Amino acid sequence: MWALFLNAINRFRGQVLGWGISLGILALYLLTFYDTLVEQQAQLQQLFASYPPELWAFFGDIGEMFSPEGYLTIEFFSYMPLILGIYAILAGSGLLAGDEENGTMDLVLAHPISRTRLFFGRLLAFLAATIVILGLSWVGLVLGLNFTTLELSWQELALPFISLGVVLLVFGAFAILMSVVLPSRRAAAMAGGLAVVGSFFLTSLARVDENLEAAARFSPLNYYQGGDAILGLNLEWNGGLAAVALLMVLLAWWRFERRDIRVGGEGSWGLPRLRRRAVT
Amino acid sequence: MTDVAIRAVGLRKSYGRVRALRGVDLEVGRGEIFGFLGPNGAGKTTTLRCMLDLIRPDGGTIEVLGLNPQKEPVAARARMGYLPGELRLDETMTVVGQLRFLSQLRGKRLDEPYVRTLAERLDLDLKFPTRNLSKGNKQKVGVVQALMHRPELLVLDEPTFGLDPLIQREVLRLLKEAREAGTTVFFSSHILSEVEEIAERVAIIRLGVVVEVSEIAGLLRRSLRRVHIRLRQPADAAPLRTVSGVRSLQQDGATVHIEIEGEMEALIRALATLPVRDLETERPTLEEIFMAYYETAPKEGG
Repeated sequence: MWALFLNAINRFRGQVLGWGISLGILALYLLTFYDTLVEQQAQLQQLFASYPPELWAFFGDIGEMFSPEGYLTIEFFSYMPLILGIYAILAGSGLLAGDEENGTMDLVLAHPISRTRLFFGRLLAFLAATIVILGLSWVGLVLGLNFTTLELSWQELALPFISLGVVLLVFGAFAILMSVVLPSRRAAAMAGGLAVVGSFFLTSLARVDENLEAAARFSPLNYYQGGDAILGLNLEWNGGLAAVALLMVLLAWWRFERRDIRVGGEGSWGLPRLRRRAVT
Repeated sequence: MTDVAIRAVGLRKSYGRVRALRGVDLEVGRGEIFGFLGPNGAGKTTTLRCMLDLIRPDGGTIEVLGLNPQKEPVAARARMGYLPGELRLDETMTVVGQLRFLSQLRGKRLDEPYVRTLAERLDLDLKFPTRNLSKGNKQKVGVVQALMHRPELLVLDEPTFGLDPLIQREVLRLLKEAREAGTTVFFSSHILSEVEEIAERVAIIRLGVVVEVSEIAGLLRRSLRRVHIRLRQPADAAPLRTVSGVRSLQQDGATVHIEIEGEMEALIRALATLPVRDLETERPTLEEIFMAYYETAPKEGG
């Protein structure tokens, strides 16, 4: 499994560095604005009060913007599930289906390794890559502390990343499950993308529309703490999300163990195509 | 230890409404070079992928080196070398990196001296990045990785596909050498001349069913032969139609064309009654025999 893990992590290198360094720089950059924001609190509060509540529904509670956790939620953690959710979906959907579709899995599985080892070797690589991306983003925030009066410890700054990581696990696991159920990586990525965007909108709009609250209970982002995790991790929420992710991983593993390895679109369902009517 | 390397009984596999395998029966002995013939879509690759547990049959059984690949895939694959028909390599690695990774999957270190020997014989540069390789060079990597751990059974899907004629010959030599070292070689091919050259036995698969398994020599011997007879003067050759084995007869004046199956003895005796000036026999090539199986085949999906 070690060889499979190293091979997979090697292929994640570009994504890890690209996402991790970019988000780390963004985190560092955002923290440098905190002091300026606090200095102009009165004027900004007046300005923000004129914005429609539907806008703030997507980013958090405006009243909390000037607290450390509120600032981090609004400026960084509110949209991270959307941005890194796309990473999780693309990485998860391609973890197995990508190799099947490009034909490299046939060669790998022609060797004496079980499908279980392949599955968990790849999954571990995905987990490791996600942790490194979150770690680099966290390093950006920790370095940013040097340029602000924000009084937070590096341990406190790690807590929202745990909440974010658990949400990414759910999205990643969903994408892996879809990739072994649906006929192609593209279909799995589409389903995963819909889940991420749908969850983001549903959770956000449920903050301003009570009618959506019941449906929002099924959205993973309903249990995402964002910057509020600084005040303490909700173990019930995070544990619940982790359990859902684990369940989806186990279902995906069960399915991968039993199904045929596709090659070149074998067994695909094929999406309907729009055809131009022939003109004679 | 059984003498059978591969045994398939009633192997069936469908993809939705397409019945890829409709009951494949096959037995390949240890130490044989066995050719598996059939056009695209006949079920060759599906059969090969069942042997490696890449796909699961819907019915029937398959046994490889005495193991059921569906129940003991790791143990079976540890003793096999496989070259996929549509070989795709990890393009982020060099050739040697790729081979090292595949060796690690077997829990072994790369046998560098042997790999270098194989690479030299196939004129393959091991330091090249895989992504820069031509189709033919990628195929060479596929051949090397299948052979490099000296497997008991080689399962090769179109091993010479994309290779130039010189390298094709070298690959065939490597397969013969592997056989001499005790390896069973099971390969599919479209190039019937190479099958004829190295395989001892062949199976012909048509629409997911093995329609013929035979030694090549026997297949050629049993197949229809064309006999062209020139008579000194026109004479009635129609009675030859009744001779054992004669399948067709055409007469054009003093020239007679006969297609005969099996032994020629009865025909030669019958010809003694005619004023024969010249006689020529023509054996069909493996390609013609192969085509004969397909010209009479019903269309799929009916």
